[in-house]
Amino acid sequence: MTRQTFQQACVDAIAEEMRRDQNVLIMGEDVGTFGGPLKSTAGLWQEFGAEGRVIDMPISEGTIVGAAIGAAMQGKRPIVDLMFLEFLGLIMQQLMDAGAMHYYSAGTVKIPLVVRAKYGVGPFHGHAYDLHSWAAHIPGIKIVAPTTPREAKAMMKSAILDDNPVLFLEHMALYHAGKEEIDEDLPHVPIGKARISRAGNDVTIIGSGLMSKRALQAAKILAQSGIDAEVIDLRTIVPLDEKTIIQSAKKTGRVIVVNEAIRSANSAHEIVSVVADHAFDSLKAPVKLIAAPSVPVPFHREMEKAFLPKVEDIVECAGNLMNKNREYLP
Amino acid sequence: MLKSNQILLELYRIMTFSRNLDKIIGSHDGHWHGLEGEEAVVAGVYHGLRQTDVLAPHYRGSPVAAYAKGADLRRLMAGMFAKKTGYNAGRHRNDICGPPEFNLIGLYSGSLGPPLGYAAGAALAAKLDGRDDVAVAVFGDGVSSRGDCHEAMNLASVQRLPIIFVCQNNQFAISTNVNDGVSGSIAARGAGFGMSGIEVDGNDILAVHGAMQTAISKARQGDGPSLIEAKTYRVAGHFYSDTEDYRDQAEVKAWRKRDPIVKFRKYLTAEGISSMSELDALDQEVETEIRLAFEQALVDPKPDTEELSVEYVYAGGRS
Repeated sequence: MTRQTFQQACVDAIAEEMRRDQNVLIMGEDVGTFGGPLKSTAGLWQEFGAEGRVIDMPISEGTIVGAAIGAAMQGKRPIVDLMFLEFLGLIMQQLMDAGAMHYYSAGTVKIPLVVRAKYGVGPFHGHAYDLHSWAAHIPGIKIVAPTTPREAKAMMKSAILDDNPVLFLEHMALYHAGKEEIDEDLPHVPIGKARISRAGNDVTIIGSGLMSKRALQAAKILAQSGIDAEVIDLRTIVPLDEKTIIQSAKKTGRVIVVNEAIRSANSAHEIVSVVADHAFDSLKAPVKLIAAPSVPVPFHREMEKAFLPKVEDIVECAGNLMNKNREYLP
Repeated sequence: MLKSNQILLELYRIMTFSRNLDKIIGSHDGHWHGLEGEEAVVAGVYHGLRQTDVLAPHYRGSPVAAYAKGADLRRLMAGMFAKKTGYNAGRHRNDICGPPEFNLIGLYSGSLGPPLGYAAGAALAAKLDGRDDVAVAVFGDGVSSRGDCHEAMNLASVQRLPIIFVCQNNQFAISTNVNDGVSGSIAARGAGFGMSGIEVDGNDILAVHGAMQTAISKARQGDGPSLIEAKTYRVAGHFYSDTEDYRDQAEVKAWRKRDPIVKFRKYLTAEGISSMSELDALDQEVETEIRLAFEQALVDPKPDTEELSVEYVYAGGRS
């Protein structure tokens, strides 16, 4: 058993898969001797560099992902470190093609590709954009966003083993934030399955990444005033685990979705829609989405803090839903 | 017959295949991207590749590339009409996206630059595996202006990838003349990226084929990428129903006189490799082959709307 941060757990998962399968390789800008942005590939160069499986790339994001797709079509299992999700715009056409290839080739082509991207407001001040909703609109792409080091490791392995393009999101506020015990025989975490991180009966709070952590903190506070919140850590954003969401919504009758991306066209509206469609008769209050305001991520620390949904926002919203306060927040 | 003579007749077959395909599909579909005038480029570039070589063709001539790579004409033709029997099962279009079963990389969207990167990735896979297979990436003068093109050439050269970049310069990006879209020589960019860049007469099949063979053996030997700019002229409109208001028909007429097929027929007969009547018979044979596939495709079954399901989108689901 070892204690690892989110970042160490991700690297460890990649190293294990690279040892197991010669077809796994990692490419990106500064992934070699530099060790990757925020140490995202630390140690891989030393172990696999000589084999040519840790490949430093020129600043050509679109073609890096393009080359990874071309290599995947030839049976490789490439991992691209995009650095930051802020650069998603540079690879959109390639992701769109990759997502279509299996369907358009009548099942002939498989694209086992992982695109890693760091995102989120955190200690690093900058590159914070959470643009995952763009990718959620591309058919054929899977999106995962784990919360804990243990699940980051398990899900990185699932992503590498998956025969589809997977966008793997690494939250910068969780990246070096704390260590967790990770067993040798780590349980498998499948893509497409959410986790109930706290069971409860009164209100369901759904989030992923940092927001899932804040949802748990809010649940603890709510418990003090007798409100029993159920928290769902999505883990996978696409494809959505509708079953777990609907079951929980039917049980509690109240649903709050929390997401740190801007509100406008946020992928979390999909969750609201699923609940409205399939749990309508069980609802005791409107379904709420707490998201960031639809502005560019601000730079000043206090502005940044205010931009993100806070634990208090979730607590207040849950309280209002319970009290049938018609001034539902936010 | 001498082996080299056999290759020459294979090249001729690809050229006449292309011309006849234009004739048959062009008369049926106004959106067909004709290849008249550019047949020497496609035949010279697409002939003789291995099954394991990866080819990302220009969309103009993509079905010819698939044919040259060994794809079944009936299934290809069914794919042109999005029939269930086509390689893409009616979900996509074979006129711009050939079957990956033959290591073809087609267009999976209307965006033309990214396949250059996919081809570079295929070359990277061959290099990592220690195979002497190559990748071929073909693009027009239009796509030469895209960042994807510059990125792929730089990346391929930095990584010394076994790839051949071919610019099928037909002097038009839809309606934009190359003089209004491209500054300087495309072939000369090779030097800028640290690879050989040469310009060949794209209406001369022997010149195109020769340059291609040199670049292929260089790539197979691990000597890195090359760039070939094949200069030709798009005698055809952008598509068959193109009104072509943007160019002078006298110019088209002049280029039509430089028809690469007519030129090659003269060569083959002058050298005693074939006779006009033998070439006519070959034309007829190819036309019949295409026509039969065309007529079959028209009556082939439609795809199932049942396949409009996310279950078919991800590998591991249904196919």
